Amino acid sequence: MTTLLDSSPISVVDALRGDRTKRPLIDTASAAGLRSLLDDGIYEVIGAERLTTPLVLRASTLHQRAATTDIMTSGTGRLRGVLVSQILRLLSVGVSIDHAFDDALCAWRGEVGTNDLLEHLDQLDDDERARLATDLDAHCVTLSRALGEIPARWRPRSAARAIQRLAGGNVVLRDVVDLVIGNTTSDVASIALFDVTTSPLGEGAERTMRYHALVQTLRTSTMPLRSCTFSTATGELWVRDVDYSLLARSVDEVLTCVRDLWSAR
Amino acid sequence: MTSLLHRRLTDEYVNELIESAPCCVAQLTDDHRRSLTARFRAVASPGHRRLDAWSVEQAGQRGRAFRWAPATARRVLGNGALRRVAVQPLTTITGAVRDELADQMLRAASGYARDGSLSYWLASAPHPVIGLVTAEAVNWATQLQEITEGMHANWSVAASDAYYDVASARTTLRGRRDVVIDRDDTRVIVRVRSGSPGKSAGPGLRADLTIDALADHDGLAPARLIGLWPEAGVCLCVDGTMADLRAGARDLVRTAVAQRRQRTPLAA
Repeated sequence: MTTLLDSSPISVVDALRGDRTKRPLIDTASAAGLRSLLDDGIYEVIGAERLTTPLVLRASTLHQRAATTDIMTSGTGRLRGVLVSQILRLLSVGVSIDHAFDDALCAWRGEVGTNDLLEHLDQLDDDERARLATDLDAHCVTLSRALGEIPARWRPRSAARAIQRLAGGNVVLRDVVDLVIGNTTSDVASIALFDVTTSPLGEGAERTMRYHALVQTLRTSTMPLRSCTFSTATGELWVRDVDYSLLARSVDEVLTCVRDLWSAR
Repeated sequence: MTSLLHRRLTDEYVNELIESAPCCVAQLTDDHRRSLTARFRAVASPGHRRLDAWSVEQAGQRGRAFRWAPATARRVLGNGALRRVAVQPLTTITGAVRDELADQMLRAASGYARDGSLSYWLASAPHPVIGLVTAEAVNWATQLQEITEGMHANWSVAASDAYYDVASARTTLRGRRDVVIDRDDTRVIVRVRSGSPGKSAGPGLRADLTIDALADHDGLAPARLIGLWPEAGVCLCVDGTMADLRAGARDLVRTAVAQRRQRTPLAA
């Protein structure tokens, strides 16, 4: 017999808030140094050449560097990921979800109109569609129970995009963080980055957390407080406080990725 | 020679750009307006023509037809929400966005909304889409709030975009503006865009600068027009000089010419 707890043992809100008295002062000095490290590293790889089409890096590029098969990259896996992101967006502004699949799909259609993934969804037969809907219900329950209610005072922003051009535009870092809370104008670090994945957490998820923190630092010139990732498949939550060493490690990972992309051209 | 400047988007740089804006600005006279009208009239148009910075940046190329979506509704609702928060500081952004949405829907319910308007679309949108509109508007208003919180000068959310109807040329110019900073006799305009600035971002800014000057009843140009791209973390700005105004007007006329060429059918 399977029993469910009334509430999730993990509280995302508590994890994001942390201990308020232990928050470090806001760091606005490190971003320039990190940018220089990246520019110098990219120069060593590409040189002074001006590329007609830039190398584009995303969180997914770092998430899965080795050429392996991942269930996440299948059409249905991507669909599930997109729909869970839509649910998170709705939950972040306090919208109640009655039917996870229908609501997420309706919201997504309203946003993008039509695209390849939607066409893939339309081609699913009834059984596959029902399986996806049931799967999504389970992910939605895990997410909503762990997330709870996010206070509006925390200024939640969902699907926060960032684009950073490096080395004169030769390399472009693109990123979308599922949920950002806190603000950059306070005296202490208060920005928390929250990412949701529908796959179990692994090494790739750690790289993604660091990448989110790096791109956010480059974009706002302010170091975030912490970066978190939550798996709706396992209910695990990983939280990392952001510091210079974490960002420097992400710089190394980005440069390794640039080297791989450059040698593959 | 234009005055285009490029900076990182930080509070320090934004304040520096506002404070260092020139005190003396160019003024458009009736002769300038007549000259611009004559140029637009020389470019025939089969219907009414609408030009803005986006069409200048795209060299007059037509994109996909406009449709309301969460991403296109966010600016109107987000700016309205921030205006509410500025008046009632205890209101949260999410609460203010909900109030804006309620106002829009009330307009549709009371019969004041016309077909194709935001109110009309919202009134018929399903519940999850309204939720996504809320999320997008909250994103927009929050990023604008973060920017304005760091400003030392007094600011206000622009009541509307700048519009200028070119007399007898069936042309309407629309200049985008989000935040207005009044300084003595001059003003600084802040415009926020998503994505990252491309190569034509400068001409786009100059187009907005020119339209804002044309929309002013005295023809006074803004001291500076600052374009912010929060997703890319950069800002660009142009000054209200006559050289920039002329360049902006030239780009608008060129865009009208490019649009006419694209629509002219080629002979077989």
